Amino acid sequence: MSTIEILFWFLSALALLGATMVLISKNPVHSILWLIIVFFAISGHYVLLNAQFLAIVNLIVYAGAIMVLFLFVVMLMNLNSDSEPKKNNRLKMAGVISGGCLMLIMIDVVRSASEMQKATAMLKEGNIGLIRTLGMALFKDYVVPFEISSVLFLSAMVGAVVIGKKD
Amino acid sequence: MNTIILSAIFGVVMMFSGIFIHNRSAYKHIAAAALLVLLVFNVSEGNGFSLINVDVKYFLHFEKFGLLFNSICIFSTLVYVMLSGKEIEKVGNNVAESYALIFFVLCGVGIVTSYTNLLMLFIGIEVLSIPLYVLTGSDKRNLKGNEASLKYFLMGSFSTGILLMGIALLYGTAGTFLIEHNGTRMLSYLEALGLVLLFIALSFKVSAAPFHFWTPDVYDGAPAVFTSFMATVVKVAGFAAFIRLFEARTGTMGSQTDRLIGIVIVLTLAFGNLTAVFQQSVKRMLAYSSIAQAGFMMFAIFAVNDTAKEGLLLYAAAYCLSTIGIFAVLAKMEDMTLEGFNGLAKSQPLIAALVTIFFLSLAGIPLTAGFFAKYYMLAAMVKTGNYIGLVVIGVLFAAVSVYYYFKVIQAMYFKDGDIVLAPVTSGFKYLLLGVAVIIVVLGVYPNALLSLLYF
Repeated sequence: MSTIEILFWFLSALALLGATMVLISKNPVHSILWLIIVFFAISGHYVLLNAQFLAIVNLIVYAGAIMVLFLFVVMLMNLNSDSEPKKNNRLKMAGVISGGCLMLIMIDVVRSASEMQKATAMLKEGNIGLIRTLGMALFKDYVVPFEISSVLFLSAMVGAVVIGKKD
Repeated sequence: MNTIILSAIFGVVMMFSGIFIHNRSAYKHIAAAALLVLLVFNVSEGNGFSLINVDVKYFLHFEKFGLLFNSICIFSTLVYVMLSGKEIEKVGNNVAESYALIFFVLCGVGIVTSYTNLLMLFIGIEVLSIPLYVLTGSDKRNLKGNEASLKYFLMGSFSTGILLMGIALLYGTAGTFLIEHNGTRMLSYLEALGLVLLFIALSFKVSAAPFHFWTPDVYDGAPAVFTSFMATVVKVAGFAAFIRLFEARTGTMGSQTDRLIGIVIVLTLAFGNLTAVFQQSVKRMLAYSSIAQAGFMMFAIFAVNDTAKEGLLLYAAAYCLSTIGIFAVLAKMEDMTLEGFNGLAKSQPLIAALVTIFFLSLAGIPLTAGFFAKYYMLAAMVKTGNYIGLVVIGVLFAAVSVYYYFKVIQAMYFKDGDIVLAPVTSGFKYLLLGVAVIIVVLGVYPNALLSLLYF
């Protein structure tokens, strides 16, 4: 086994273990800590695929910002098993069945898509994931949506101030 | 491009005017002037004048239909600002910011009426919705408004997620974000799933059943002035996005999506109309009626031919103007239930008559614009030659809608009551009269609007 393969299997196992622990941990704070491990493992996969930018952004945005937000929310809500509302069993079943149906359809669609069958991930080759390529794409080919999204952020910012300011 | 650039700039201008100008009633006039300039520049773009020349071919394509649609939206917003400016001032402390957000919404309208690229569709839809979440909750002391805002935000984010998933799947099959694909081949599985997800997300934005559940609560909880804006300009802009997407894909899709859209149309019509019958609050009734009207506009998405596009333009104008007119009066009322309208004809005969015209237009009675709007929709359906049953269902539900619109007219004319109405200026009355005149003119001579599409 080459180093890459060892790394690949290690990271995959870590990601799966983390994801399982997210689901079965009783304490929501532990769930979030496990989720951070999942994100680290996935970032490792991105590095293997030669996508540095994605790996770093995944760490900064997901493992950094969003997880901190999750932690804040969980801690503020002070969840524990006593205060948790009883969920209707029939509702649970309905949720599982409908969600499962959607998942089955999606899996089947991806599996039977002829466009995807011959394609494999590129390891160690290709420069699509490099920051330089991304910069070129963002500021040359996709400069119009890049600039227009500033309106989106501006309106979100105005909104945050309007909602958050004390009257 | 003029609309997109200028409305973003005017949004910033409105924000800064909030710092330098402290007279609250001045904002309305600044906004109205800016909208007028915007309208002029949007029309002049149709004649080949654009502010800056940049090559955006891969992302945006400006043609008569989109520009005319922009003009209708900008004009409706102008009417809205002039009619309801007083009420906007009363909501919250951040009047200038509210106007800024309205301009940002118009920027989104400019994008979704002219995109050729799924990336732009996404940005356009987001620019269209994010200001609305804020406007819904802008009355911070109103608990109902806060709840509506949070609900709208959560559901809207979820539907955005579905939209992105659909875009990702389409990109995965085609390798490009462009929406033009010609040739009549079967859709591949991935493409079909992606399109269905896009369809769901856009149906959510235009509140077509069964993705409408947020609509009554949000429209009811938001301040009445902003409900007026959400239910009109933003909703028809959603349809513009819808028809552009499906128009470019008619070749590939052919009849493959007919049944899906047909089911959504029937559900939307049934749910909107039948629930509206039982409402006691006029504001809530209008929310359900806006779902019903969305069902009618969905006919254009089903037919996607020239008649459907003309009909959608006419529908947008008729529906926006009448609904804005009704809401302008409604926002001045103390009591927004049916009883609140009792005896309006005695105390304010002119306003009662004009509101009657607006309701007649919504119901689609001849001699009002609403009639031709519905007529064009049904004609477009007949032209496709299939699914004539849908036309029959549409006509039946239009008849149902007459019932609940006439309940309000009945309350105004045949019941006695003490009406509590905020002071009405004569300028407001003349403006309302002008809107009613436009509706009647379009109802007699719809080509006044539609001929603009071909010159």
